Parts: sequence; C-alpha cells; structure tokens
Amino acid sequence: MKAEYVNSFYQAAQDVFKIMLDVGTQKDDVFTHEITDDGANITIKLKGDLTGTIVFSFPKETALEMVKIMSGMEMDKLDSFILSALSEIVNIICGNAATHLQKYNKSVDITPPEVVEKPSTEADKCELLPLKTDIGAVKLNIQLEENQE
Amino acid sequence: MMWKEKYKIGVELIDQQHEELFRRVSDFIGTVRSENPWDTKLSKIKETLEFMNDYVITHFRDEEEYQAKINYPGLEKHKKIHDDFKAEVVEFVRLFEETGFDEDLVQRFSGKLLAWLINHVAGIDQKIGEFARKQEVPHHES
Repeated sequence: MKAEYVNSFYQAAQDVFKIMLDVGTQKDDVFTHEITDDGANITIKLKGDLTGTIVFSFPKETALEMVKIMSGMEMDKLDSFILSALSEIVNIICGNAATHLQKYNKSVDITPPEVVEKPSTEADKCELLPLKTDIGAVKLNIQLEENQE
Repeated sequence: MMWKEKYKIGVELIDQQHEELFRRVSDFIGTVRSENPWDTKLSKIKETLEFMNDYVITHFRDEEEYQAKINYPGLEKHKKIHDDFKAEVVEFVRLFEETGFDEDLVQRFSGKLLAWLINHVAGIDQKIGEFARKQEVPHHES
C-alpha cells in the first residue's frame, strides 16, 4: 500500500483531533494489530478507486476522554451516546482523508461507520497506523486495494 | 459543551448564532444525559428538539446567504453539507415519532449531533472566516 494513502488518514486524524479536541497526535512506534477488547472498534468502508476497510480502535479510557472533552460531562461507560459520537468522529476523519486522497487522483466514497465487537484485521493485508495522543492510544488498521482500470 | 472564543469566524450574526446553537445543544444533551427517568425528560427533549430544528434551519439559511454575499467559492459544497445534515435530522425525527422517542435512538442522535456541531463550527465554518478576511469583506453583518 502506498505511504501517501496511509498518510492521508494520519493527516486527517491529526487535524480532527486538534480541531475538535485540542489534542495533539503523533505516530506511535508500538506496532501490534491487536484491537482493543475493552474499548470501541469502529469500521468504515471505502469504495471507488480504492476499496477496503479502515478499523479505528479506541481503548475505553481514550474513548471516554474524547467524549468528555467534547461534552464537558463525565462519562463512565461506552453507551450508545458515546459510540455514536465516536462514530461521527471516524466519519469526519475518513471524509477528510477522502479529500486528501483526491490529491493523488483517487476518488473514494465512504460508507456510514459501524460499531463492531470483533473486527477481523488480517495482519498480512493491513497497514497499521498506531497513534499516540495526549489522552491515550488510538489504532487504525488500514486495508486498502487499488482498483486497476 | 464549551463555547470557545477561537470558534468565532469574525462575522457577528454567524458567531452569535453559533454560540446560541452551542448553548441549546449543550442543554439538550444535558437533559438527554441526566439520570432522571426517561418519561420525565421527554417533554423537555421534544421541546428543545423542535426549537433546535427551527433554529438550525434559520442559521443554515443565514450562513448560506452570507456566503453568497461574499462570493464564497465553497458555497455549493457547504450547502450540500447543510442539506445532508437537515435530511439526517428529518430522518431521526421520523424515527423518533415512529418509535415513540426510543431512548437509545435519542442517545445516538445526541452523540452524533455533539460531534457534528463541533466539527462543523470549529472546522468547516472557519474557512468562511478565512476567506472573508482574505477578501477584506466587512465583518459586521447588516
């Protein structure tokens, strides 16, 4: 997978965390494809010049803190309010990433985000983008294929 | 939900409306998230929802009119974002009525609304202010 495709998601995630949460983000060096088991996993699919799935994996503490920052309210469990707010953030990040991808002449559409219990992430096909933020880790598993014309 | 000075785009009418929207959405979410029994919160939820619906439509219209006035090049794209959001709200309201204001559905709507509004005001709308400043358009709406 081309680095610029992964970077489009990195740049979008970094911008959205900064703009919406005032939270700094950088790439982490801990590479593991394991997804969170106490937090939230949200997937979004891409269609068009690139096809594939992006899995966002938010540990519970990070997820709660993100929504606390936005709402100004204490949050203690991952309920439908929190999962919906996180899904919208994933939707915004991927929408912005799709805009970045246009710079590489790749036109993609995204499907609505879905909360999944156990997403399948095939390590050999996925590119891992682990992020370190001021409020904890976030992992992106990016699986994309180019559609040859 | 905290209003921040940095969200201001420098257009008085739009900034006032954004601040009011933040206040209203914050109140709405406060009610939805409070621990009172669902039945007792319903009338306030319905009332706030109705007000917000009208207010959002007025605000989107005013914001689009301002963009047209300054020949903002992103108007069509921005209008589509507004229209898509309005369509989503209409669909949620339809589902609320169909399900008798199902709590889970209202919680999901509120979470989405929270993130959507922050991104829209703190991110997307900022570009209108940036463009206006570049054009040296007077910042005070008449």
